[in-house]
Amino acid sequence: MLRFILQKLGMAIPTLLLISVMVFAMIRLIPGDPALLMLGDMADPQSLADMRRDLGLDHSVVTQFLIWFKAVLSGDLGFSISTKQAVLPLILERFSVSAIIVLVAVFLATLIAVPVGLVAAWKQNSALDLGLVTTATLLLSIPSFWLGLLLLHAFGIKLGWLPVVGYVSFAQAPWQAMSFLVLPVITLTLVELGAITRMARASTIEVLRLEYIAHARAKGLSERTVLWRHALPNAFAPTWTLVGLILGNLLGGIAVLETVFTLPGIGRLMVDAIFARDYPVLQGCLLLITFIYVLVNLCVDLLYPLFDPRVKL
Amino acid sequence: MNRLLNRSLCVTLQALGVIALGAAIAQAHAESTLRVGLNADIRSTEPGVNRDENTDTVMLHIVEGLVAHREDATVGPLLAKEVQVSEDGLTYTFKLREGVRFHNGAIMSAADVKWTWSHYLNPQTQWRCLAEFDGRGGAKITGITTPDPLTVVFQLDQPSGLFLASMARPDCGGGGILHPDSVAADGRWKAPIGTGPFTLADWKPGQSVELARFKDYSARDDAGPDGFTGKKQALVDTVRFMIIPDAASAKAALLSNNIDLLPDVTASDAQELKALPGIEVSVSPIMAICGLLFQTNDPLLKDVRIRQAIAHSLDYGQMVTALSNGLSEPNNSAIPQTSAFYDATAKQGYKYDPQEAQRLLKEAGYRGQPIKMIVNKRYQQMFDMGVLSQAMAQASGLNIEMETLEWGTQLERYQSGNYQMMSFSYSSRLDPALGFDSLMGDKTKEPRKVWDNPQAQTLLRDAVRQSDTGKRQALFDQLHRMMIQDTPMVIIYNGTIIGGLRDSVRGYHSWPVAKPRLWGVSLAAQ
Repeated sequence: MLRFILQKLGMAIPTLLLISVMVFAMIRLIPGDPALLMLGDMADPQSLADMRRDLGLDHSVVTQFLIWFKAVLSGDLGFSISTKQAVLPLILERFSVSAIIVLVAVFLATLIAVPVGLVAAWKQNSALDLGLVTTATLLLSIPSFWLGLLLLHAFGIKLGWLPVVGYVSFAQAPWQAMSFLVLPVITLTLVELGAITRMARASTIEVLRLEYIAHARAKGLSERTVLWRHALPNAFAPTWTLVGLILGNLLGGIAVLETVFTLPGIGRLMVDAIFARDYPVLQGCLLLITFIYVLVNLCVDLLYPLFDPRVKL
Repeated sequence: MNRLLNRSLCVTLQALGVIALGAAIAQAHAESTLRVGLNADIRSTEPGVNRDENTDTVMLHIVEGLVAHREDATVGPLLAKEVQVSEDGLTYTFKLREGVRFHNGAIMSAADVKWTWSHYLNPQTQWRCLAEFDGRGGAKITGITTPDPLTVVFQLDQPSGLFLASMARPDCGGGGILHPDSVAADGRWKAPIGTGPFTLADWKPGQSVELARFKDYSARDDAGPDGFTGKKQALVDTVRFMIIPDAASAKAALLSNNIDLLPDVTASDAQELKALPGIEVSVSPIMAICGLLFQTNDPLLKDVRIRQAIAHSLDYGQMVTALSNGLSEPNNSAIPQTSAFYDATAKQGYKYDPQEAQRLLKEAGYRGQPIKMIVNKRYQQMFDMGVLSQAMAQASGLNIEMETLEWGTQLERYQSGNYQMMSFSYSSRLDPALGFDSLMGDKTKEPRKVWDNPQAQTLLRDAVRQSDTGKRQALFDQLHRMMIQDTPMVIIYNGTIIGGLRDSVRGYHSWPVAKPRLWGVSLAAQ
């Protein structure tokens, strides 16, 4: 087990190294100049040259990379070009906002989708199955920003139950923080519900066709026991892989939802950094996201044997 | 199985119910808090240094300069009681108001003014407007003296008609006077300690900026607020700027009473908001210059007849009505309509005349060669202006192709002069000399400049040096006529600023300088 973890983490090092080079180069391939974007249409050549020098953009790209990489190795991701804030605490703070929403939403979506998928598979080809599959497909197809705006309109404007904009951290005011997170969490849960339900249904159908399920039924076990004790553990393993992929993907930022609900998450930070060509922030965000992806995949691999004992690490 | 399903659904719904209950409890907000939507976060708390439009908006509630823009964009005293200019135009004497307090309780004196200006003039500070005062972009400040605690004298190396206007520029932080404790001993910026009607209470990056009413604020003895000057009294305890990047969410926040004011809504949203109960809008023309830029070095567009043909092919009345939902008027001059220098001459622009356009094109030997026009979708109004221009020009036989770029890329192309045609907007310049200056220059030295005409540049230099209003007017009129003749760009209109506000907000109105002002604004009991 320990060897497996070390092996996986070891493999993450060249990945991160490669990503850092690619990110650094690709960001600079995008046309646009951070100094120019800061000064706007009022930029005179002297001010522009001064700002480029202050931002270190007057060095060659290779020199810029070496300076940045040396700093990264000592844990320093630099300072934001736009706001002059230190990048590491900035992205960690913003990541915590996204992480709360994503973890809660994916947890809720899994909690709902797995039993629903199980029932749909159990009642395969019935009216209930058709209804559940149609709902799942509908949820899968709805764009998150549209659903978010719809919920904002209903619960924020029409009913007035929930605030439409703003954010407070849990540390400051837990209840208030929850009020700001309810709608984004519900939106993300509904959007992810579709994919997980379909996966849970598909893998349960496969499991229900296996001989050991027929054997369990022949032994006289109740349907509840057959489904819950025998079908679910085996059907959940592929779903768990999907959950892992979704988690990795979403933890990289839910920029659209964060923009709609005005949440200061890492996705919005990244979009703002792209528009402002804020290289250090963008580089920091992408490095963190790569690391999170590696970490989430590692956790999924480590937890896999719990759901499918045939898998050995 | 059904019981199993029911149980898990019940648990989930109960959890959501608890969360929703918490949400309802958290709805309440203090009555004296004015909540204002901002489309992006501020960049820093250092006025005129690391800044953008939103940073200027917030900082101008905290700091005040010696002079400031009035409602009609002319310059008047703010922290100064009066300003005397010597006959040779080289000495500006500012008499300060007595008893003005900084946010830390200290009384402002001439020494503080001298310290602040020395701080701005130090290249280490990286003040945005240093070039306007060190001789690179205008007159150079050669000395600042303080004959007594309430008098500050600025010496210039040459007369300048723009000295006070540059001091008051919002993007320069209004030349806000700071207490020396705003800066640490090592020169590091700490926090703005100004004299404005609000103090900086809290900044949560990405979320909100909160200002608190400054109880010891020393207001001017004027009848009421006048632009950035006049009697500026904070009438609410707190102003909370909330960062809402998405326009649809910002509108939803206004409708659901989550914010009280949105200082900048689109013309189409304004139509919708106006019709809703409890919502009002406040409209004002602004001083931006919106139009189509031509690259006069381009093989095709270097022919003035083709440029003039484009100018004559556009139906300005129809276009501006469509762009602004009928809230703006066309203006072909670099002198904004709200400027005190906008006179009968400036009103004489291009005539919509498709026949004349076709005649000019024929004369120039134009045979339908494609003309590429750069547009972007970050600023919808620039995109729409491009689309409408393309359609109208096509009716006169012009073949304009649109190239949609990301804003940062377009700005780089603008800066390098690498384009044929471009839909573009210049941010507001509050003096016509600054407006002309943004367009004019030597293209070999500054490729971004649109109008390269040495004779016009001589006139502009005169206008910059001249402080006599009548003489400046004559120079601006002449420049306008020359620009219409040369047609290095087609200026279409100046744009509007539209504020959307709840009817509980009292005393707020939009104005030509566009930036919201929240002193003199109160909230009616709800």
